[in-house]
Amino acid sequence: MIVRLEVNGERRLVDLPPLTRLLDALRGPLGLTGTKEGCGEGECGSCTVLLDGDPVNACLVATAQCEGRSVTTVEGLGALDGRARETGGLSLLQAAFVTEGGAQCGICTPGMLIAAEALLRETVDGANRKPTDTEIREAVAGNICRCTGYQRIVDSIAQAAALRRRVSPADWVRENLPFAKAEGTRGLL
Amino acid sequence: MKLFTYDAVSSLPAALAARRGTFFAGGTTLVDLMKLEVLTPERLVDIGSLPLTKIEATPARLRIEALARMADVAASHDVLRNYPVVAQALLRSASPQIRNMATIGGNLMQRTRCSYFRSVAEPCNKRVPGSGCGAFEGDNRSHALFGGGPACVATHASDLAVALVALDATLTLTSAKGSRDVPLAEFYLLPGSSPSTENVLAPGELITAVNATGGPRAARSLYVKVRDRASFEFALVSVAAALALEGGMVKDVRLAAGGVGTKPWRLAAAESALRGQPATLAAFEGAAKRSLEGAMPLSGNGFKTSLLERTVVKTLARLGGVS
Amino acid sequence: MSNVGTSVPRTDGPSKVVGTAKYVDDLSMPGMLHGATLRSPVARGILKRIVKDPAFDWTGITFVDATDVPVNVVALIQDDQPVLASHEIRHRYEPLALIACDDALRLARAARHVTFEIEPLPAIFDPRASFERREIVAPPDNVFGRYRITKGDAEAALASCEVVVSGTYSVHHQEQLYIEPQGVIAWFDERGAHVHGSIQCPYYVQKGVKKTFVLTESDVDVVQTVTGGGFGGKEEYPTVISLHALLLAKKSRRPVKMIYDRQEDIEATTKRHPAEIGIVTGCDRDGTLRAISIHVLMDGGAYVTLTPVVLSRGILHAAGAYRWEHVLAEAVAVATNTPPNGAFRGFGAPQTIWAVERHLDKVARQLGMDPLVLKSNNVLRVGDTTATSQTLKESVGIGECIEKARTASDWDRKRALGPVVQGRKARGIGACVFMHGAGFTGSGERRLKGRVALDLLLGGRVRIRTASTDIGQGTETVFSQIAADALGLPMSQVEFLQPSTARVPDSGPTVASRTVMVVGSIVEAAARELKERIDAEQAATGLDRRRAMDALVFRAMGTAEHVYDTPRDLEWDDATYRGDAYPVYGWGCDIAEVEVDLDTFETKVLGFWAAADVGKAIHPTHCKGQIEGGTLQAIGWALHEQIVWKDGAILNGRMTNYIVPTSLDAPPFTTLLVEAPYSRGPGGGAKGIGELPMDGGAPAIAAAIEHATGISMDNLPCLPEDLFERARKGRAA
Repeated sequence: MIVRLEVNGERRLVDLPPLTRLLDALRGPLGLTGTKEGCGEGECGSCTVLLDGDPVNACLVATAQCEGRSVTTVEGLGALDGRARETGGLSLLQAAFVTEGGAQCGICTPGMLIAAEALLRETVDGANRKPTDTEIREAVAGNICRCTGYQRIVDSIAQAAALRRRVSPADWVRENLPFAKAEGTRGLL
Repeated sequence: MKLFTYDAVSSLPAALAARRGTFFAGGTTLVDLMKLEVLTPERLVDIGSLPLTKIEATPARLRIEALARMADVAASHDVLRNYPVVAQALLRSASPQIRNMATIGGNLMQRTRCSYFRSVAEPCNKRVPGSGCGAFEGDNRSHALFGGGPACVATHASDLAVALVALDATLTLTSAKGSRDVPLAEFYLLPGSSPSTENVLAPGELITAVNATGGPRAARSLYVKVRDRASFEFALVSVAAALALEGGMVKDVRLAAGGVGTKPWRLAAAESALRGQPATLAAFEGAAKRSLEGAMPLSGNGFKTSLLERTVVKTLARLGGVS
Repeated sequence: MSNVGTSVPRTDGPSKVVGTAKYVDDLSMPGMLHGATLRSPVARGILKRIVKDPAFDWTGITFVDATDVPVNVVALIQDDQPVLASHEIRHRYEPLALIACDDALRLARAARHVTFEIEPLPAIFDPRASFERREIVAPPDNVFGRYRITKGDAEAALASCEVVVSGTYSVHHQEQLYIEPQGVIAWFDERGAHVHGSIQCPYYVQKGVKKTFVLTESDVDVVQTVTGGGFGGKEEYPTVISLHALLLAKKSRRPVKMIYDRQEDIEATTKRHPAEIGIVTGCDRDGTLRAISIHVLMDGGAYVTLTPVVLSRGILHAAGAYRWEHVLAEAVAVATNTPPNGAFRGFGAPQTIWAVERHLDKVARQLGMDPLVLKSNNVLRVGDTTATSQTLKESVGIGECIEKARTASDWDRKRALGPVVQGRKARGIGACVFMHGAGFTGSGERRLKGRVALDLLLGGRVRIRTASTDIGQGTETVFSQIAADALGLPMSQVEFLQPSTARVPDSGPTVASRTVMVVGSIVEAAARELKERIDAEQAATGLDRRRAMDALVFRAMGTAEHVYDTPRDLEWDDATYRGDAYPVYGWGCDIAEVEVDLDTFETKVLGFWAAADVGKAIHPTHCKGQIEGGTLQAIGWALHEQIVWKDGAILNGRMTNYIVPTSLDAPPFTTLLVEAPYSRGPGGGAKGIGELPMDGGAPAIAAAIEHATGISMDNLPCLPEDLFERARKGRAA
């Protein structure tokens, strides 16, 4: 079945069995392996992506359900600032996860960032206010992290909320993450 | 996954014309269970884009169309104000991600979380009629006190359904022949000897809306859920209560429990014990004792009897403003 | 220039937040097959025959059983565990055969067309029954390990103590639940065997591959890909999955990828060892602790794996962080027919610390003392001797830990208030005092001789080569900080080479809270040596720094390889279990405040104050992240997590029913770093802290529940029904 969808702002087309999980479409033919699989049954949140702006579990969404809809993955977050190149591909939210300790092993991080991005759009962008601690914890309550104890994640999101729309992402990232290199440093040897 | 055919329909008549096949909307149950090969439908009808998403929650009347998303209903100020038990039950269900996909109709149709049902390696009469029930004498900590038997003791998993039973809600069921309204409490069937049949839906029939009447009782309603962690977890025990008070007396009350029944469990004996009584802790405690009538604890879930009793008291006390 | 002590941006952070970090499942090889493991459906038995359904089309499917294994042993401490069972089956989920296919769908279908004829044998799941040898499930005597520690004469001392208290405590299994499941890609080529995967200890895997395939070191390259958490779960287990993938690769002559799905990962891989611990203590009426007698029975599961070492660390921590004149500690680990238990952060210590801390809370209750005062009065200080008669010479920051946690949590006021009951909710506060040995036990480091290499690269850059893996804890960043400061270079000039046994020296496994303290100090020594060379080169030639570095590279003088300089004054006797068990200890005081719902007995953790003596915080943010993450694992162990067993099978092998804490369960953490420097620690005195935070959480939570409700839990977990049952029994009594 041919499904047309918009992924990270680009029109894409996949030809897959209709119930292929969106997760497999992203990681396979769409080549976006930033979205991770931790449990395959909607329990860990590692595969969270935005579907028409709302966080969903890509392991529980059929590709056919995405016809004509927009999908945002972690690879699309940096581009949202519109100045991705100047920031090494990092949005303020992503940068805050690096400086505040929100990312440790990193496997839950893409899903966590997506859930946080939806919250910041709703609160900072939509209502011009910072989310509360409880709102942050509720926004990521569907994303399991086994490394951090969540405190640094909450702190990272709070910092991103405080900076969002107040500082220039390019300037902030340049200043606070002078050596940011977004390319993966490891692979098959 | 096994092979199947897939059709997306964009209108209700087209969906109803499909006749054979399994409907799906949000997909959060189906994609999961098809991957586990617990469900192996031959024909899928995707109704996700039908225009059935309206939410109406005036003080007089609640009507939620079946394809409204859980997240949207939970976020509705009218629902929260006039039917708080519904919003609370939804917000305490699943995770934000799932609430963004799952629909109201799908929530009511979700399958049990019984681990025997969800594992093709285990016997389960619900999944494979006649294969036996692994839970009856197995690990049954999360299983039902009410409405079960040797054939099946799986609990119904929906929080929303429990809340709606406490509002005397009805479902509008639509088929090619027309529509009918069925009380939610009668929509679900007890497992009896055929646990694979869970409800009264006829083949090709679809839930199109949920309805309830408003009023003081609905406006004074509460959902209390006891679970093993603070989010993203099914109920060990939950209680939905709606209370109408007049001059310190209980004029009318509805009580339903989740996590304890093979379907959302109306606590009718407790309700009648409470009607006309003063809204005091003693009266609530007396009524709560009656909520255990008919309970049949299994080897691993005996703790739920007393937990249910205590949760009923807690819920009523909070609603009635006594402690 | 100082990077040490500041929370620099984590070096692998950017690639993780933009999604370019490649975990093993993000990688593929041309012509790669997918592999799967076929496992035993019974807990114990004799494998008679493997039946491949003749009606199924087996074209394109590679099949491997025990007859394909060159040397059928998983090389660990003992050679008791087969790579694939050939005859005797000792646990449910034991690997019996392997299949591979290029199509994952067909692979799953093929798996259902293999059946096993097994003659079942009686199994043992209760360690006590195993200890009593009701069935011999691991010849000759079911015993995997035994230790005994003595100091003074505990029996005689107990007989004369004013206050004698006894108790029995137990703890349950725990799943590591790293979010990235186990996985590898493996293949053979003209250079030999290759394994790339989610691995804590590449050299452990290399050792296993060498043994099973009869290869030499240079034939085997094991490479760590970006790893999504381990917590001990990827210490010894990756050897098994790597051997499986290589067997399939060898037979199919294709690269093979094996990634466990979540259920297989929970069911088949190792767990924390359950244990039962009996304690008798004697003290004076004023609370001065005198004597302790401890008996530990640990459940090893089906094969030895690392059990003796876990038992050893367990017994070495069993007397807690306290001064005792008289100690008798005896520990035994036995076999049962569950999957082997193995490494999990804390490695035996959380089990015994649970017991001794619950016990001291009980002693405090009997004496009518504030438990934190009792603990504080008896806690070890510099000059005191531990249970193994080790004299503590330095870096004992526990006093400051207790003070900081006590003040920050407002302990004195809250404890004195007693339980605060508001409506149907009761609040309480509890504390745990603990220590954790940093680095390998006893003479471990001396035997291991960990090595690290640093290379100068052209252009003034430096590269660190070590087998110590970054599995999320921040090794790459911290080593870069240490090297940069020792060399006087900016962080941007330092690189960390992806660990690969072909390219990095063996710095030892990434375990035992040794990475920063031990390996970090080797990094520091190698960096200092390079700096001396650069300084000398500059002095001799007058070149600027960059050119001097390049000159060294051209003269092949750019690599410094260092071996760990084991402290020479450490004395340890393996025979008597006496002496310097660890070079130094991390210390901690955890305080938890909880609210228990008196109707439902749900426990909410309102606040958590964790004070830890880390020697020197090289990266304060990472340090706090380790402490909070470890603590939440301990809280999960106490309040949420439980493996449900039936006849050796796991009934809740999914994340939907094996539940770990979410962001809403996690308390707000106040993490207080204490720095009592260790003279041999890198960066000005860093100690290992990886495991320390796993020790304190559970006892602190249980103590807080007790303060709130009067319910004293001596076994885990503290589920609502367990608390209610205990309360009911308490009322009845």
